[in-house]
Amino acid sequence: MSRLLVVDDEANIRLLYSEELQDEGYEVVTAASSAEAVEKLEVGAFDLAVLDIKLKNESGIELLQKLVKERHDMPVILSSAFSCYKDDFSAWLADGYVVKSSDLTELKQEIARVLAKKAQKIKAAMA
Amino acid sequence: MDRECCCWNRDDIEQGGCPNVGEGEEDLLASKRQRNLEKCGECPTFINDLKRLQDEANPLAPILAGFLAEYRRQKAQVQSLVSFLDNKTLEIRFLHELGYVLQSSVDLDEVLSVALTAITAGKGFGMNRAFLLLCDREAGMLRGYLGIGPRNMEEASQVWNEILQNDMDLKTLAQNFRLNKLSSERAKFHDVLEQLTVPLSQKDHILIKALDGKRPFMVEGAFQHPDVPPELARLLEVDTFLLMPLISRNRRVGMIIADNCITHRTITEEDMHSLETFGFPVAFAIERASLYDKLQVELNRVTEAGKKLREQQELIVRMENMALVGRITSSIAHSVRNPLMIIGGFARSMLKNSSEADPRRSYIESIVAETRQLEGVLDEILNYSDSLYPTRDFWDVNQLVETALRDTADSMMSQGYATSYVPEQDLPLVYIDFKQLSYCLRTALQNDISGFGEERSIVISARKGTDCVVLTIEDRSRHISQTELDRILVPFSETRDLGAGLALALCKTMLDKQGIPFVAQGDLHEGILYTITLPTRKEDQP
Repeated sequence: MSRLLVVDDEANIRLLYSEELQDEGYEVVTAASSAEAVEKLEVGAFDLAVLDIKLKNESGIELLQKLVKERHDMPVILSSAFSCYKDDFSAWLADGYVVKSSDLTELKQEIARVLAKKAQKIKAAMA
Repeated sequence: MDRECCCWNRDDIEQGGCPNVGEGEEDLLASKRQRNLEKCGECPTFINDLKRLQDEANPLAPILAGFLAEYRRQKAQVQSLVSFLDNKTLEIRFLHELGYVLQSSVDLDEVLSVALTAITAGKGFGMNRAFLLLCDREAGMLRGYLGIGPRNMEEASQVWNEILQNDMDLKTLAQNFRLNKLSSERAKFHDVLEQLTVPLSQKDHILIKALDGKRPFMVEGAFQHPDVPPELARLLEVDTFLLMPLISRNRRVGMIIADNCITHRTITEEDMHSLETFGFPVAFAIERASLYDKLQVELNRVTEAGKKLREQQELIVRMENMALVGRITSSIAHSVRNPLMIIGGFARSMLKNSSEADPRRSYIESIVAETRQLEGVLDEILNYSDSLYPTRDFWDVNQLVETALRDTADSMMSQGYATSYVPEQDLPLVYIDFKQLSYCLRTALQNDISGFGEERSIVISARKGTDCVVLTIEDRSRHISQTELDRILVPFSETRDLGAGLALALCKTMLDKQGIPFVAQGDLHEGILYTITLPTRKEDQP
């Protein structure tokens, strides 16, 4: 079972993501801030992180840069309320992007795609 | 003594009575005194009478002879002075005309044409040939700039005949030279002018010496002259030439080298003084014209800088507006999208987990549908705000189309569409907002126009046009009338609701803002043909 870290400052969104992604068979851990995300990452390994670009009073992009630097084996999917996230070059570091929607199909597909890609990469490295 | 044959002692004489009184001098016939003064002094008959008087030992004879000699000497002197005054009057008139022409021009070529024409024209100083050299202060060189005059006798005869036949004043001569001969004379003397280049620092060179001396200098015996470099004498092919420095406000402007290479007429002291007088206004006019040229260059730079400054100011205002719009839309996006997502997301979740028999299911379905509708509206508003300030640059059309096809590949495939595009080679770059054009292409490919035909294929092609690349999207799958298509292309029209397919209208708005023609032709049988004319020139854009 893949373990996902969801970082979003909205409690209801964390709850929605948890329930929907658990239904998809993932183990989901949530964090409301960058600091909390770092804490969770220090105590456990994750297969993928879903990260909101705009966290309360802080930028998700900064957390993304930290994750890419320190956890380069963990892919990150950026989740944003506004599609102009690509205007920030730093956002290009992410492995996937989704615009927030009540229909989580796109998010679920993106998670599946990125995890499959990661699995392929590991398989190729082992071979 | 035959005194009857002469008329000097007669009060009146008839026409033909005195061989020295010619036509037009009839007034002398009745005026003995005037006739004596003007004619008798030179008359051989009168001189004979005077000699006879001397032979007769008349005591008045030597006194009269003395008076006559003194009278003749003074008369010659007066005639010489009159001639001198006439010449000076002509010279002053010429300098006045020259000064007037020079003062009225700030065009360097015009000034130079006037100056060199004045030196070489018969009405001016009448020199055969003149070269003008200008000081290039930045390079520290005295450089040959322009030459005027014939290169041989044949050419000289032709030019002088031409001038004789067309009696022109200095200004007309100079204009004629500037319009018809400036370039050809420059080319004709190109070889000489090339070699008439001396560093201003070469103080021992005769040209620089004359320039530093600030006075005209006559070179005689050039081929043997110790100060004249042999190559200069060989280049000019004359033994005598005049160097006239052009000095303005104590600054070295240039030098005129003048000679009589064809007629070999002696250059006199008078010529030198006249040319020296002429040199000052010429130097001043040349310097003024040069300064005017520089001023024009600086003015153009200032104008260009002003234009750039205005553009920068507009850009700053635009960036501020963009930032403001960005902040507003970002705020709307977060304030509205998150609650919508939560409401719709949980509704979907509940719907997924509710049984078909649950009476609340229809309510939940309504929440899901309304939320989807609101999310659509939000997307369109955000896209519209994004279109307000296009960010344009030069892009590759093939990259644009291939990106749009890649982005929509999954969705198109799932709907059973076949898309095709053959990248065109050698297409010029187009000046567009890449993001907006990508959106427009994706929209054209994926729009929600219903009315499908049997064939589900979309063919994209690009071809080079005049200052543009014409992109066509031929959608044979969606069939719609032109009237209905036109209505769809009007944003926020009364016939359409928000969130119900504003995307194509938004595309048209975006492209209109960029000045990019977007034509959609609908046919109930053939499908839709979109034509987008992408500009290749930045200058043509709004």
